[in-house]
Amino acid sequence: MPERNVCIIGGGMSLWGVREASIIDMAQEAAKDCFDDVPALKKEDVDGLLFASSYCGRSAFQVNIAPVIAERIGIKPTSMCTRVDTLCAGGSSGIILAAGLIKAGLADVMMVAGGEKLYTPQRWETYYSEMASIDHDWDGAQGMGLPPPFFSMTAQEHMKHYGTTKEQLAAVAVKNRRNGSTNPKGQFQKEVTLEEVMAARPIVPPLGLFDCTPITDGCAAVLLTCEEKAKELSDRPLVYIRGTAQATLHSMSMNWPGEHLADWVHLRTAAKKAYERARVGPDDIDVAQTHDCFTISEIIEMEDLGFCRKGEGGPFVESGQGDFGGKVPVNTDGGLLACGHPFGGTGIRQAREILNQLQGRAIRQVEGAEIGLTHNLSGLNVEHTILIYGREP
Amino acid sequence: MPVPGVPILEGLYPSTLDLYPFEAKEFNRIHQFYENLRQKRFTTTKCKKCGNVPFPPRVVCPQCNSEDLEWVDLPTQGKVLRFTEEVAGVPLGFESPLIHALIDLGVGRKLISRVINCKEGQLKEGDTVKLAVYDVPPMIIEKRGGVMEEAPRVFFAFEPVK
Ligand SMILES: [Zn+2]
Repeated sequence: MPERNVCIIGGGMSLWGVREASIIDMAQEAAKDCFDDVPALKKEDVDGLLFASSYCGRSAFQVNIAPVIAERIGIKPTSMCTRVDTLCAGGSSGIILAAGLIKAGLADVMMVAGGEKLYTPQRWETYYSEMASIDHDWDGAQGMGLPPPFFSMTAQEHMKHYGTTKEQLAAVAVKNRRNGSTNPKGQFQKEVTLEEVMAARPIVPPLGLFDCTPITDGCAAVLLTCEEKAKELSDRPLVYIRGTAQATLHSMSMNWPGEHLADWVHLRTAAKKAYERARVGPDDIDVAQTHDCFTISEIIEMEDLGFCRKGEGGPFVESGQGDFGGKVPVNTDGGLLACGHPFGGTGIRQAREILNQLQGRAIRQVEGAEIGLTHNLSGLNVEHTILIYGREP
Repeated sequence: MPVPGVPILEGLYPSTLDLYPFEAKEFNRIHQFYENLRQKRFTTTKCKKCGNVPFPPRVVCPQCNSEDLEWVDLPTQGKVLRFTEEVAGVPLGFESPLIHALIDLGVGRKLISRVINCKEGQLKEGDTVKLAVYDVPPMIIEKRGGVMEEAPRVFFAFEPVK
């Protein structure tokens, strides 16, 4: 069989936030929202499920969750049904893998779903489990699983080398919370002012409360299929997966690949490969969802994705170049800072927003968007994952 | 004492919740690293075939796949390049302030490690820190016939040079 073009045809989300629900409940909510998005699809058509979750075995006594979810949402996969775990990038890993299976003809219609239930009945366990999500024996044993201290050092590095200011960090929070204020699925649907961000309670200086993504329960789901089937199932414009990459160069505490902690070589490595595979460059990207786990992350991502020069991420965001009307609108649905971050769900939420943008039906629409990008960093910045979508294959 | 919610765990060691590595030789081929720590030595494996010295230690050389490795000493002192002090929201098992630092060991090797025996506001960039070895709770290994054996453990951090 010749290689097939792969399209994303529908997306859905559960409500994200502090949920009185299990991960199995929220997976059903997200799948329903996704099936409702593609009314012509029959559940019998879905022959594959990938479920992205890192914590299902830590926040409940449940590993091997994919077959359980398949049964609950009423599908009977015959090509593939398995769980994917890349922590914060699990959803994007799932989409890349599903695209590969469909491209090769090993599956026809795949649901990629994912998410986490992070608020467990015991709050200590949520934080304690973070020690299992990185290099447990070397980094977890040193209490290094929690992201804020690491990104505090990253922010200090960026400030030191490039003169980035706390106001520039805050500009990212203000923009993303504004974008998220109209997203009915997000955890925070309320804007914040620059003054509020600057005056917020410190988490790990220089990062304050609004510089950090919250802890979130939630699931998301998308549907992928081949071009031919996509034409049958939907009258909407086709959205193709054009290029992908995932780069890992080191472990969290050891063998950092850059000159300093704000120099993300692994992101540049992934970006170069994804752009080459998609046959586009950074100037071609009309809309992007990047991994704003912290405000400093989005600033560095603007640089190492090539949207601006190294060191100019601060002025880039402060002058509105990452906002509507700027060079490339980023995190148009609110990003992690407003939507929250149920790890395995995030890449799928991003894919759904790019799908909506490229089909002209996003809540905050970038006019005429034809090429979109999603990006995750994961495992406390040991890995970078990029997908590029387009209206042309 | 019974474990609330899961009384069947009374007296049992929930090893999959253990914060520290399974260091004992029954579970770990690099247990020598921890034996060396006990002697206040900070070590790793060197490949006898290609000379590569990765950290953390390995059982196979990641560069040439040789299994012919030897233990070598790393510096036990380094310089603080960047650090962070976490005061609130410190995870279970750690005390506030929880300090982490990017440490330059010289010899072209940097690592991020925890800094202990240090008050909030005391550490400065450029400070020298040295290896600190401390006891952590023993792991409990179930032997034949249900006999429980305690395997003592140590772990490492760095501390300011007074
Ligand atoms: Zn070797």
